[in-house]
Amino acid sequence: MVLIPLVRDYIDRMLHDIPGMKVLVLDPQTVGMVSVVYSQSDLLRKEVFLVETIDNASSSRESMAHLKAVYFLRPSADNVQKLRRHLAMPRFAEYHLFFSNILKIPQIQILADSDEQEVVQQVQEFYADFCAIDPYHFTLNIQNNHMYMLPTVVDPPGMQSFCDRAVDGIASVFLALKRRPVIRYQRTSDVAKRIAQETARLMYEQESGLFDFRRTENSSLLLVIDRRDDPVTPLLNQWTYQAMVHELIGIENNKVDLRGFSNVPKDQQEVVLSSVQDDFFRANMFENFGDLGMNIKRMVDDFQHLSKSSLNLQSIGDMAKFVSNYPEYRKTHGNVTKHVALVGEMSRIVEERKLMLVSQTEQELACTSGQVTAFEAVTSLLNNESVSDIDRLRLVMLYALRYEKESPVQLMQLFNKLASCSAKYKSGLVQFLLKQAGADKRTGDLYGNRDLLNIARNMARGLKGVENVYTQHQPLLFHTMEGIVKGRLRDADYPLVGNHFQHGRPQDVVIFIVGGTTYEEAKSVALYNAANPGVRFFLGGSVVLNSKRFLEDLGEAQRISKSSSII
Amino acid sequence: MATRNRTQLYRKYRDALRHVRSPAGAPSSSGSGGGGGGPVIEMASLLRTDRTYAPLSTDDPSGSSRGAVTVGLPPAWVDVSEEISANMQRAKMKMGELAKAHAKALMPSFGDGRDDQRAIEVLTHEVTDLLKRSEKRLQKLSMKDSSEDSNVRKNVQRSLATDLQNLSMEFRKKQSSYLKQLRQQKEGQDGVDLEMSINGTKSTFEDDEFEDVGFTEVQMSKLKKSEAFNREREREIEQVVESVNELAQIMKDLSVLVIDQGTIIDRIDYNIQNVAASVEEGYKQLQKAERTQKKGGMVMCATVLVILIFIMIVLLILKKIIF
Repeated sequence: MVLIPLVRDYIDRMLHDIPGMKVLVLDPQTVGMVSVVYSQSDLLRKEVFLVETIDNASSSRESMAHLKAVYFLRPSADNVQKLRRHLAMPRFAEYHLFFSNILKIPQIQILADSDEQEVVQQVQEFYADFCAIDPYHFTLNIQNNHMYMLPTVVDPPGMQSFCDRAVDGIASVFLALKRRPVIRYQRTSDVAKRIAQETARLMYEQESGLFDFRRTENSSLLLVIDRRDDPVTPLLNQWTYQAMVHELIGIENNKVDLRGFSNVPKDQQEVVLSSVQDDFFRANMFENFGDLGMNIKRMVDDFQHLSKSSLNLQSIGDMAKFVSNYPEYRKTHGNVTKHVALVGEMSRIVEERKLMLVSQTEQELACTSGQVTAFEAVTSLLNNESVSDIDRLRLVMLYALRYEKESPVQLMQLFNKLASCSAKYKSGLVQFLLKQAGADKRTGDLYGNRDLLNIARNMARGLKGVENVYTQHQPLLFHTMEGIVKGRLRDADYPLVGNHFQHGRPQDVVIFIVGGTTYEEAKSVALYNAANPGVRFFLGGSVVLNSKRFLEDLGEAQRISKSSSII
Repeated sequence: MATRNRTQLYRKYRDALRHVRSPAGAPSSSGSGGGGGGPVIEMASLLRTDRTYAPLSTDDPSGSSRGAVTVGLPPAWVDVSEEISANMQRAKMKMGELAKAHAKALMPSFGDGRDDQRAIEVLTHEVTDLLKRSEKRLQKLSMKDSSEDSNVRKNVQRSLATDLQNLSMEFRKKQSSYLKQLRQQKEGQDGVDLEMSINGTKSTFEDDEFEDVGFTEVQMSKLKKSEAFNREREREIEQVVESVNELAQIMKDLSVLVIDQGTIIDRIDYNIQNVAASVEEGYKQLQKAERTQKKGGMVMCATVLVILIFIMIVLLILKKIIF
């Protein structure tokens, strides 16, 4: 079972047993969760004729007593207060309340107290507290994501809310999957440790009855790791379709906003990229840019062929056939236009920012090459006028992450060059990154140069040559997954919480990356799952990162740490 | 998939809290302080029953006492939408009957089959009629009045439009397959007839001339009959084609209303944003209209005229006084 059908099932069950016309009331978070798995036409089929958010539902005074209300909210204190006001002055005939996570007893009491009219028919907990954007990938869309880079003392309540949201999200994933996992976390990360321990406390102590699924306890695993263990993946430029769109344009809950770009047709200002609804996207989301171009050309040719044949309608039979196939035709037309617009936009950006050139050096910095050649390449690109500031910053960061120990002098030279070339980015950000995610802080073997076996493997790969220079990077997550399957994950690096012991190989593994996942890692997980049917990996994070978002988080954390008097 | 039902616990608390509230006449919910004992209890319960009236829709004055909220009377357009869906149900049933009639008409039979044809015609007309009527009422559903309801109405309209479109497509597919089979049969029959008539002519050549004349007469009548038969088939085909065209028209009209699946319009969050945006837009437009109206030439003219009238009256009075 994968994530998207699970959430769909929850929503189906909510709406199924209630006959008649319904209104669905959501909060700003659950809107996202529902929108990625359920479409408006699905709702209409279930007789839900109005969707409102909990804020604007209270501001209107009009009563609609012919509708039954289905509320799907997160059980936050804020929502409970708003719900109180709604229940005190009911607008609808019946109220069915569904919460996406565990309710606390005082919250139930507050709601029971305000329900004077006794309009509430049921109160249930349906654990769909995450955004299932792809079958094996979920996100929590946490707003203050940069929190994870700061020590707790800077902002204790902020950190508490971040951890709470992460624990809630992870708990609901396991409740939806009906598993109780063994929990491991990355030793060097305090945030990961905190989240792992709080999750363990929830699953094994506070709500142990709820999580007691009577399956072999040890067949599933939760691994909580920190983004800073692999800072390279979010900084790299991407060349596979889904990852590339997110990197260059930006995907939010499977929606792409093309409004800022010129040359985009009117009806394609905002588009949806969903692997469930769009067959072409599902087939091509992990294809690299070159193959993607060929597939799009083929799709366009097929469509032109189809539209030409529909132009010479000879007989009434032809006409009738055309009219009956018109909805299909229109849908294909919309789909083709959408993909052509996206790829066109991305080609333009690649051209403008000279990304082919930049990305080649980036990949070499991440995967291969010696220090001297790297230094020369980075210097020449820094001198190149057409390279944008953000790309220059990324290059210096990638160089610094790899060669920070090897020659500090040259590193300083690069810092100076960066400061002189670009007005916006100072080298302070790079140094902050090194402080957060430098070689001393990392657990995993990011460059494969820590033990002899990996070094040998790297040399062999270097000699063999790579198929495609632009997609040679393999995220650290891939090696972690292999380690889990082969039982090679060291206890010293990834200790267990509590005294649970993992017997044998886990069958379901959820990897939660504190700080955010990337689409490149999601691709890695999906392809690994397809190749190895014995284990299922699910990937989730606090947000979905691209390089821009990662740098923003870094900048925000740096600003706060500078202004706080403690550090 | 795990879920947990908290309804029982909730009801327990609700009942417990209700008992805490009502016997003591606790002023926490009634809000008016005052007196002790009896009058307070009465006031509290009076106020409470007052409150049960307020949130219900205004067209249900017989609101019950504390407890169950009665489902208020739905607005008028709900009746229209129910009528439309009832029509579509009837159309679906008729389509089932039509399918059976088609099958029967296509089977080779001894009789003339004219009753079958008539039944098919009648049924086809009825179905087309129902679909057209549903479509007209659907168009009317979207017009007029207020804000809140308009969203619900639009969505109801969309869902009915999708169903109607599917029904029309199914109907047309059945029609066109019947048409095709009819054509095939007609050609088959022609072929058979011709063959028979050729054989007939061949066999007569061996006989006398007298008998020749007779046979050609028989042939003529046979030809005439098959011609009449063909003409009738032509007519039927034309009718079916006409209904196909009508349905095509309905389809075109409906396609504007139906949501394209997989596009941005099909996303719930997009629709919520748009509602918020359009309500704001509408509010701004209203404000602008108010301002332009205030500034408008009409108001100026009217004020100027009124002032002039006053001046004239004053002059008139002065004239009267002076003279």
